Amino acid sequence: MTTTTPGQEFETQDLMINMGPQHPATHGVFRMVLQVDGEIVRDLIPHIGYMHRGAEKLAETMDFRQGIGYMDRTEYLAQFNAELSYVMAVEKLAGLEVPERAQWIRMILCELNRLSSHFMFTGAFGTDIGVFGTAFVYSFRERETILDLFEEITGDRLMYAYFRPGGLAWEVTDNFERRVGEVLKSARQGIKDMDGLLTENEIFRARTQNIGIISAADAIDWGCTGPVLRASGVPLDLRKTEPYLRYAEVDFDVPVGQVGDTYDRWLVRIEEMRQSVRIIEQCMAKLQPGPIMPERMPRMLRTPPGEVYLRTEAPRGEFGVYMVSKGGNRPHRLKVRSSCFANLQALKDMAIGSYVADAVAILGSLDIVLCEVDR
Amino acid sequence: MTTEDATAAPSLDGTIWAEVDRALSGITASGEPSVQDVIVHIPRDEIVRGLRALKTDAALTFDYLRCLTCVDNEDEGMDVVYMLYSTEHRHNLTVKTHLDATDLHLDTATTVWRAANWYEREVMEMFGVRFRNHPDPRTLLMPEDITDTFPLRKDHPLAEIEVMQGEGMAFPSGEGE
Repeated sequence: MTTTTPGQEFETQDLMINMGPQHPATHGVFRMVLQVDGEIVRDLIPHIGYMHRGAEKLAETMDFRQGIGYMDRTEYLAQFNAELSYVMAVEKLAGLEVPERAQWIRMILCELNRLSSHFMFTGAFGTDIGVFGTAFVYSFRERETILDLFEEITGDRLMYAYFRPGGLAWEVTDNFERRVGEVLKSARQGIKDMDGLLTENEIFRARTQNIGIISAADAIDWGCTGPVLRASGVPLDLRKTEPYLRYAEVDFDVPVGQVGDTYDRWLVRIEEMRQSVRIIEQCMAKLQPGPIMPERMPRMLRTPPGEVYLRTEAPRGEFGVYMVSKGGNRPHRLKVRSSCFANLQALKDMAIGSYVADAVAILGSLDIVLCEVDR
Repeated sequence: MTTEDATAAPSLDGTIWAEVDRALSGITASGEPSVQDVIVHIPRDEIVRGLRALKTDAALTFDYLRCLTCVDNEDEGMDVVYMLYSTEHRHNLTVKTHLDATDLHLDTATTVWRAANWYEREVMEMFGVRFRNHPDPRTLLMPEDITDTFPLRKDHPLAEIEVMQGEGMAFPSGEGE
């Protein structure tokens, strides 16, 4: 007969739990296998690929203009940002100059898209944390106003296909300035609402502070970008480090975190939204009438042979398009460098040692889009 | 920038190439200008040594792997492409290594950057390139049981995808049209 001393540590058997691909907290079809010891995550094996549809290969069979549609479907929460990388890659290869007005409009739309994407994050993250409902509907109300504006301009709520190599598909609506003003007014209030609702909330802070910490060195080694990297205190933002469009001419700050935990990733995004509003205001002041496409555009766009890796700062981080052209009207190879793909790799490092419920919060704070991860 | 500048042939003068050439002494590397980043060609057998030299060199410190991918040039073999960035010096570099179509092997870069892990797994299953000593060579995006077909290769059919999805799922040829 064996006796046990009270308080002595018992060895428990590790349990493997499958989470996803159909799970409300995995943000789409993402599956992870958790090895848990009681409530503690000992190991995490992510499984992706349920959404792989070969978008890169499909785009290789189409000409440069047709490929734009695939970019929308790759990153369906920040479509303008995804289109931007693609059309800028084509422009770089073909040596096209984009008229100034088109550049300002692109910037306004990309920043509005950043706002709508971050509103999606604030809502979904609130739900992950357990603030069910309130944060979600408030966020979606704001996102809805932005999408309404996009619909007025492009004719579609999600799949815009509005940017073209060289400029824009057509001119924005006549009431563009007034409408952007209205949207910004409502977005400003929305940011305030989300900030007031969650940032100082005691339960929210208990659930996020010091959870899923990743150091700056680890984040760089894993290839993290965007808010995930900046929350760890690395002030890298492509809009600042390698300015494209007219970002060098506007004034904005790059928020960074101090701890690199889930809470910092939230704070960084909230501050980024305020900065986006600032950028849009400056863009609107500088917007002048003018052409939106170069004067002479070939009917069928062909590029000289060459290759380019064009990256821009999308809401989730660096969205890169690697395009190889062998001459002709379609890319020989197109590779989409997804920001979430790299960020998701670091999940394992962040989640090991945390509670199962916190693993959900950490995953939520990465703000993944599985369509972009799998392509 | 005037139009002449934009269309002028890119050159290696005044680029990072001089520094890279110095850091890669002892490795047969050649530089090539491009419209964006400087491209460095490193032979397959020396690739990891070269990448590590680029990462550890004090004047370059390429500590960030932006992207890793592969380009299928059919009969001319394949190119594995690495996009590097230095968070300290904020400069970019593209590294390329050539593989013959008959011998698609090279060493893994996961020992240099952990970020290479998933990128290499993707290239393995999509192009059939084998990375030696990869710590986790499972399939990433593809189902686990499909390991003999490589969807992103140029010779892979785009339409007749059903045929590729295992026994019992294929249409016999000519049927179903």
